[in-house]
Amino acid sequence: MSKARFLILLLASLGSWSAARAQDIVLVANQGVKISEITNADLRAIFMGTRTRFADGSHAVPVTLKGGPVHEVFLKTHIGESPEEFRSEWRKVVFTGQGAMPKAFDSESDLIEYVGATPGAVGYVSRISSQNRVKVLAAVK
Amino acid sequence: MHAVQCMHLLSRHLLLFLSICACCVYTCTGTLYAQDLAGIAVHGFVSQGFLFSSSNNYLTMKSSDGSLQWTDGAVNISDSLGENLHVGIQVHMYQLGEFGGSNLQVDWASGDYRVNDRFGIRAGKVKTVWGLFNDSQDIDAVFLWILLPQGSYPIDHKSFYLAHVGGDVYGALSLGKRAGTLHYDGYAGQATVDLNDGYIKQFADIGLVFTNSLGGKTYGGDLRWETPLRGLTIGSSGDMQAVDGTAPTGSVHSPALFTPSMYAQFSRGKVYLAAEYDREPVNATITIGSAVLPFVVDGRSWFAMGSYRLSKKFQAGSYYSHYVNKAADTTQPANYSKDWVVSGRYDFNSYFYGKIEGHFLHGTNLGYYTSTNPNGLTPNSKMLAAKIGFTF
Repeated sequence: MSKARFLILLLASLGSWSAARAQDIVLVANQGVKISEITNADLRAIFMGTRTRFADGSHAVPVTLKGGPVHEVFLKTHIGESPEEFRSEWRKVVFTGQGAMPKAFDSESDLIEYVGATPGAVGYVSRISSQNRVKVLAAVK
Repeated sequence: MHAVQCMHLLSRHLLLFLSICACCVYTCTGTLYAQDLAGIAVHGFVSQGFLFSSSNNYLTMKSSDGSLQWTDGAVNISDSLGENLHVGIQVHMYQLGEFGGSNLQVDWASGDYRVNDRFGIRAGKVKTVWGLFNDSQDIDAVFLWILLPQGSYPIDHKSFYLAHVGGDVYGALSLGKRAGTLHYDGYAGQATVDLNDGYIKQFADIGLVFTNSLGGKTYGGDLRWETPLRGLTIGSSGDMQAVDGTAPTGSVHSPALFTPSMYAQFSRGKVYLAAEYDREPVNATITIGSAVLPFVVDGRSWFAMGSYRLSKKFQAGSYYSHYVNKAADTTQPANYSKDWVVSGRYDFNSYFYGKIEGHFLHGTNLGYYTSTNPNGLTPNSKMLAAKIGFTF
């Protein structure tokens, strides 16, 4: 294999790996949420607590996973924070009395169940099935 | 040996409180994650510090022998009552040398009604937003630093600056995709100097022993611009504060004085940078018996800090803090305090952490008390601080 072919294959595999990482995240929302797509800036504002409403003015309830690779990829890709900084920023909000930390779940199934039952809830998982009564949001830049 | 004696000095109430903080949550749930009990969220933190100084006793601790008289703990309970209303209370207990004690103090207790993202109202006992860290200065768990820059955030006076009883209006105004977001906070109320605060001890050292708290009206605001450059925030705060108090042997009167602050911070990925400039003018009158003494200070302080997260668990950084009283002879060590600081923090997991910090101090204006340094002060000293803590 020539060096050029090897390099092309390496770049291609890196590209598909990145895409797979990005596809690992599915944004889910309660079926009552009117919007069908959301910008990363809006996601960041909602998940960092500086905004409490979606772009259409309806109330947003962000929920998170407690940890794991899906949590890390979501924070890095859509919020631009590491789990450590995300946690630290929220602790600052909570201990100064300026807000409440998003509800956090141990498992994706618990998160999906909560999102399905809570008006305005928005969260993220690695995959959903057709039985899940949630809406998928498209993330746009 | 001295460290063990110091531990015994910690009040039994304080230890009981800290134990309850930790055990209640752990035994109820089996984890230390923040608890959400049918919508009611419970969070808390505790920390234990150690201080050793090469000379001079710092913050009323016998730090030149090594002191463990530094314990902090807080628990808060909050709940959302509907989409827009949030209520909560945080109780705090701390022992810092001779400051604090066994009494639980209400750190904040407020109702918060957010009409929309542009306008909200918060009322009760509310943390005062001023500068980068005023409202969060007592939350050890969120900082790399053990001691924040003391020229701007003196830990022995935190009870006075932390909160006010009154109300705030706040909100965020989006300036569009290319211009960022403007955050504002305006407040008015009453701020009180607790009887276990450093100012009370400083007055006692000159023979003015207060048996009732002193304080006065306060109002001010903060405006910060979250710039389009992600992670960069620039802001400014201003506070007007009056202080009046009467003791059996005299009184203190300070008219409302303006304290401004200007700051910038940049936080992205593993990097954190921040700088702040503050000014605190004081033009008070102290009356002891028939003697009327002017008390004039023109405090100017600034700091610059930077840190880097070397791994998920380890963070290191450094800052320089500068304070000088321009109303006095600035060549005298008693009128300035300059501090070079190096810090490291290790997070064992999401809840437990340890910190270590070195201070290279020049000048003696901040953090020293006559009664705990009866033989005088040396102008330069070094200090080692360490802390362990957990939060949920």
